Amino acid sequence: MASRLYEWLDSRLRLKPIGKTLLDEPIPGGASWNYVFGSATLFLFVLQAVTGMFLTMYYVPSTDHAYDTVQYIQHEVMFGWFVRGLHHWGASAIMLAIGLHMLQVFFDGAYKPPRELMWMVGIVLFLLMLGFGFTGYLLPWDQNAYWATQVGINMAGRVPIVGDLMVKVLRGGETLGALTLSRFFALHVLFLPSMIIFGIMLHLFILRRVGPAGPWDEKKAKEGSETFYPRQVYMDAVVMLGVFLIVATLAATIEFPLADKADPSDHSFVPVPEWYFLFYYQLLKYVHGPLEPFATWILPGLFFLMLFLLPFLDRNPQRRISRRPVTLGVGMVFLVIVFGLLGISLRDLYAVPKTDPSVIRGKELVVKFACKTCHRIHGEGAAIAPDLSFVADRRPDREWHLRHFRDPQSVSPGSFMPKLPLSDRQLNDLTSYVLTLKSGV
Amino acid sequence: MTDPSNSHDMESEGGIFTPVGSRRTFFTWVSGAIAVFIGVALAVPLLGYVISPSFKRRKKFWKAVGRVEELPVGEPRSLDYVVTEKDGWMETKAVKAVWAIKQEDGAVTVFSPICTHLGCGFRWNPEDSQFQCPCHGSIYDTTGKVLGGPAPRPLDQLPSKVEEGQLLVLYKEFKSGLTEQVEL
Repeated sequence: MASRLYEWLDSRLRLKPIGKTLLDEPIPGGASWNYVFGSATLFLFVLQAVTGMFLTMYYVPSTDHAYDTVQYIQHEVMFGWFVRGLHHWGASAIMLAIGLHMLQVFFDGAYKPPRELMWMVGIVLFLLMLGFGFTGYLLPWDQNAYWATQVGINMAGRVPIVGDLMVKVLRGGETLGALTLSRFFALHVLFLPSMIIFGIMLHLFILRRVGPAGPWDEKKAKEGSETFYPRQVYMDAVVMLGVFLIVATLAATIEFPLADKADPSDHSFVPVPEWYFLFYYQLLKYVHGPLEPFATWILPGLFFLMLFLLPFLDRNPQRRISRRPVTLGVGMVFLVIVFGLLGISLRDLYAVPKTDPSVIRGKELVVKFACKTCHRIHGEGAAIAPDLSFVADRRPDREWHLRHFRDPQSVSPGSFMPKLPLSDRQLNDLTSYVLTLKSGV
Repeated sequence: MTDPSNSHDMESEGGIFTPVGSRRTFFTWVSGAIAVFIGVALAVPLLGYVISPSFKRRKKFWKAVGRVEELPVGEPRSLDYVVTEKDGWMETKAVKAVWAIKQEDGAVTVFSPICTHLGCGFRWNPEDSQFQCPCHGSIYDTTGKVLGGPAPRPLDQLPSKVEEGQLLVLYKEFKSGLTEQVEL
């Protein structure tokens, strides 16, 4: 049936020569598992495009509704949590895939002549992808989105002369608000996709014009080429399946939680960037004073410029890594620094909080004593008494809470908080729990 | 990597090798199966994602629309009340109106304000003691019976009850244009 349809179409559209050009592309040295990273990246891009299109079906880019619509997708639309999970984990996966793709090309020396243009277009694609990450992060309009974007935009403001202008243009005004959200949305779903699709086409066009690099070992390369189809297609497909299963499993098992709705007046919130920006976030913690502009924009600027011009900076004609000591050394030092900083940052972020059993008991006491009859905690409960969502930011002092629970009016005169009949242990547990109610947890 | 030139199930054409026979079939089959698997694994949740809100039923609540003793006997009154409707991620307040008539025995009949013909809002004409639809001229009496015009069925009655002197109504909508009453 399918083949008859193909014959019918071919007799009119002459498809066979196109199929032959697309599928019989020669791969020097034969198909290899080393060449799957580009296809994996392309697959993830398609996955992001598809899930992104479906997310826009319910998402509204206005500060009034954005947060509610993401909540709606997450909790009310059938499989909404899964589609959002795929998009979230897919974004991380694509960064990882690009990283591996670049490392493979770098260590294989595949950026060397005549493939300089393919590498340079690839760097532009990488920058566009970082743009997707930055603009997409704001869209849920929760505390993390708001404050992380605030920091990101302010970093652009450190650039001399044009910094202020750039900040104003990015925000669409003096403050981060409705205009910022709608322009980030437009960039994320219309401008960047049209640019990146053009870039991807160019990247693939160049690939087809110059051909794949093949193995650096010339003897191996001379043994002959193999057609792209079917063995390389098969290898790419197997890797795509693996990538899909990993992303789908993460999406199905680990929910990416929303923080509270963005609150521009809450300056106590400490945002944490996505893991692929973490090494840079950590670097900025070490650099102060006159060196700060160096780290915020001179270093990244130089890094991307050097990366872009790499095929012209590295004039060593050898592709074999053991004959390229300088490139190898620079590459390894870079990786050690990036992963070192990432490791330190992850340790700082995730090693500390282990839920204390006392905290769990304290949380149960909140239910037992019906604290939410008056207090609101992360959107649950009445708003009669103070909102406790981030009470530990305002009151980090343990002693204060202990005294307050024993006799509320002794530290907070005029409060209508009742004196709870708490045992010493319950007093301690409740205080431990209340102290966990802070931002950035 | 296997050396392509030494494989016996490889064929060469101008120095370019390609797998043939059962090996080729195997690669083709696995690639196709993976494409189908990923496609289906995405299509099923995405289909549910698109259609699920279309089949979500609205929750219905009894609503107080007014006090029974304020209704005159035999004379219909249009009663307005405010309902909170969930519209996707938004909650909107909407004003609904129903027609209520107190009968001689004190029982109250409540009509949906929508003509059963094509869904216009009908009026009460006190001179003729008739409900008249301005769109296509359907006419009903105070019991909802069709007196004239194209209406296919009597006016739709809404469930109602009286609690502590308050008239409570369960608002519903029905498909128009049918002889049978079909709830939306």
